Amino acid sequence: MSLSAVQGRTSLFERIGTSQKLDAYVVGAVFLKEGLLAAALGDGQVAFINSENISPPSFVSVHDGTCLSLAVDLEEQCVLTGGDDGRLVSTDTEGKTAAIATIAGRWVEPIVVSRASGLRAAAFGKTVCLFAQDGKAVGQFDHSNTVGGLAFDPKGRRVAAAHYGGISLWWAKASTQEPKRLNWSGSHLDLTWSPDGKYIVTAMQENALHGWRVSDDVDMQMSGYPTKVKSMSWLPKGRYLATGGADSVICWPFHGKSGPMGKAPVDIGWGFESVVTVVAAHPRHDVVAAGYKDGAAILVQIDRPHPVLVKQPGEGAVTALAWSADGQHLALGTESGFVCRISLSDWRAPDN
Amino acid sequence: MTQIPVTVLTGYLGAGKTTLLNRILTEEHGKKYAVVVNEFGEVGIDNDLVVNADEEVFEMNNGCICCTVRGDLIRILGGLMKRQDKFDGILIETTGLADPAPVAQTFFVDDDVRQRTWLDSIITVVDAHHVVQRLEDSHEALEQIAFADIILLNKTDLMPADELAQVESRIRSINATAVIQHTQRCEVELDKVLGRRAFDLDRILAFEPDFLSEDDHEHDDAVKSISLRTERPLDGVSLTGWLQHLLAEQGQDLLRTKGILSIAGQDKQYVIQAVHMMMEVNYTKPWSPDEKRESRLVFIGRNIDESVLRQQFDACIA
Repeated sequence: MSLSAVQGRTSLFERIGTSQKLDAYVVGAVFLKEGLLAAALGDGQVAFINSENISPPSFVSVHDGTCLSLAVDLEEQCVLTGGDDGRLVSTDTEGKTAAIATIAGRWVEPIVVSRASGLRAAAFGKTVCLFAQDGKAVGQFDHSNTVGGLAFDPKGRRVAAAHYGGISLWWAKASTQEPKRLNWSGSHLDLTWSPDGKYIVTAMQENALHGWRVSDDVDMQMSGYPTKVKSMSWLPKGRYLATGGADSVICWPFHGKSGPMGKAPVDIGWGFESVVTVVAAHPRHDVVAAGYKDGAAILVQIDRPHPVLVKQPGEGAVTALAWSADGQHLALGTESGFVCRISLSDWRAPDN
Repeated sequence: MTQIPVTVLTGYLGAGKTTLLNRILTEEHGKKYAVVVNEFGEVGIDNDLVVNADEEVFEMNNGCICCTVRGDLIRILGGLMKRQDKFDGILIETTGLADPAPVAQTFFVDDDVRQRTWLDSIITVVDAHHVVQRLEDSHEALEQIAFADIILLNKTDLMPADELAQVESRIRSINATAVIQHTQRCEVELDKVLGRRAFDLDRILAFEPDFLSEDDHEHDDAVKSISLRTERPLDGVSLTGWLQHLLAEQGQDLLRTKGILSIAGQDKQYVIQAVHMMMEVNYTKPWSPDEKRESRLVFIGRNIDESVLRQQFDACIA
C-alpha cells in the first residue's frame, strides 16, 4: 500500500477497536453468540476472545500441529476445526473438545457446515466425509485427487467438491451413487456455492475463477487476476461475489439472468500497492471488508467509490476476517497473530 | 518474511535416500527440519515433523504440456508456513519412480511457494552397484541423474576402482554439471549437500562442466549433456531470442540448461538457468579483470543435436 494513501488517516481500529496479540498464525476467525470471537491458530489452539475485552483470551489445545480450517459448528456455541493431525474436532466455549473423526496422516482442510440439513462435511485429503449432528458418519465420497474446496447447496442436500480437473457433485443422503462431474482443466483450489443455489464458483491455481451454472452446467471464466484468488465471499442474497487476488476488491455481478457472463466486475479500491488476501461480505448490506497482504484492511461499498480505512498496514498479512451474524462486529486476524475487533453498532459509513 | 531452503532427495528404490535423510536429521547441527515423504515411502524417519505427500502431479492450464507442478507440495508448503514451530529447512523425499521435473517446476511456477521458500538443490542418490542396470531398464533413473545438482554415488565400498570409474563416466556423460560425491552408507559432510544454492543465479558462479573425451563414450544414453563455449562475446539480443525460441520449441526435451555468458558491451556475467521451459536469466557479478571472459552453456536433455545447437550458438557471436 502506498503510504501516502493512508498517511494522516485514522483507521476505524485506532478509533474504536480493541486488539490482542496471540503469537500464532491466525488461520480463521468466527463469531459465536453474544459477540464471542473464536480464532483458530497455527499452533493448533483455538482462542476464545470475549466481546468487552475485559478478560484475557482463553486458549484450548485442539490439534497436535496446526489448525487448517474453522467453522461455526451445528451447535452454535461450538467451533469445528480441521488440523494437520488428521482430526476433525468440535470445541465448545468452555474448552471441551470432542473428536468427530480422525484419519492419521491426512490433512483436514476444507470443512463446511449446513444448518439447513444438519450436516457437516470435511475433506480428509481425497476423501470427503459427512457427519450428522450426533457425530455419526453418514457419507463418504472418494475422489482421485485431494479436495481443495467444499460447499453445500443452500438446502444442504448436495455437496460440491473442488479438485484437479474440475468438481464433483454428490447427493448428501444417497447411499450409493456416482458423482456428477463437471470438468475444467487445471487445479481447482477452493469452491463456493451461491446463496440462491444457482452457481458454483471455484478459485484456480491459474489466477482465475471458474464458474458453472448449476441448472445447465454452462461454464463461466473469470480471469485477469494478478495473483491466485484465495478468498471469495457472497454479498447478501448473492447479488455479487467479492474476491481477493487483486489490489482492489473485485466483485462479480450475479444478480442478472446469466450471472457475470459478458459483464465486467465492479472493482473497488484505493490505489493500494498490496494485494487483497481476504474478503468478507457484510451479512446484511452491500459492504465488503477486505484485508491486504501488507496488513491493511478497508471497508468498501458497492456503488460507492471511497473505501473506509479499517486498519493501517502492519502486523503481517491479513489471514482472517469475520462478521458477527448481525453485522455489528468485525474481527480481523493476521499471520503474525494480531487479532483486532471493531464494534460497528454506533458507526455509519460516511455518505460520500 | 524469511524464506526457507528446500532440498529435494531423489533416487531409485534402495539407493539410500532414507539413509541420507536420517543422516541429515540426526547430525549434530542444531537445526530443525520438516520432512515431506511420499505416502508409500520407506518407514523409519527420525524426525518430529514428517508430512505424507502423495505426489499429485498437475498440468498447468497454460497450454504447455511439459509444465507440470506438484499440487500436493503447494498445499503442504502453504500449510507448513502456518505452523508455530519454526524450522530451518524442508527436505522432500520423492518416490523412487518420481520424475524430478514437477518438483523443480513448482518452485518456478507458484508465487506463494517462491515467496516463502527457495529450492536449494536436487540431490540424487545412486547405488553404484546397480545404477548401470537401472539406466538400462528405467527411464526414471535416467531423469533423476539428469536433473541432479548433487549426485551421491553410494555403496562404493567393495567396488573395484576401474569399475567405479566406468560408472562415474557413464553418469558424467548424462549430467556434466552435477557435483558427484562418492559415499558409503551416504556418509557425507552436510555442507556438501545442504546450503548449496544450486538454483540461485548469483551462486552459479563458476560451474565447470566435466566433459569426457569422445573415446570415453561407451554408451549412448537417451539423455546426455552437451557444452558450448566461446571466448568471443555474444550479442545479447540474438542470444536471448535464440534461447527463448529454443526452450519454447524443445523445452520438453531439454531437462536443464545452465550458462554463464559474456555479452558484448556488458561488464557483468549474464547467467541463465532453466528447467524445461522455465527460464531465469539475470546479469550477476562483473567479470573480474584477470578472468577469461569465456561463455559456457550446458544443455542436459534428450534428442539434442550438438552440431545444430553449436551452429545456432555461434550465430549469436557478436
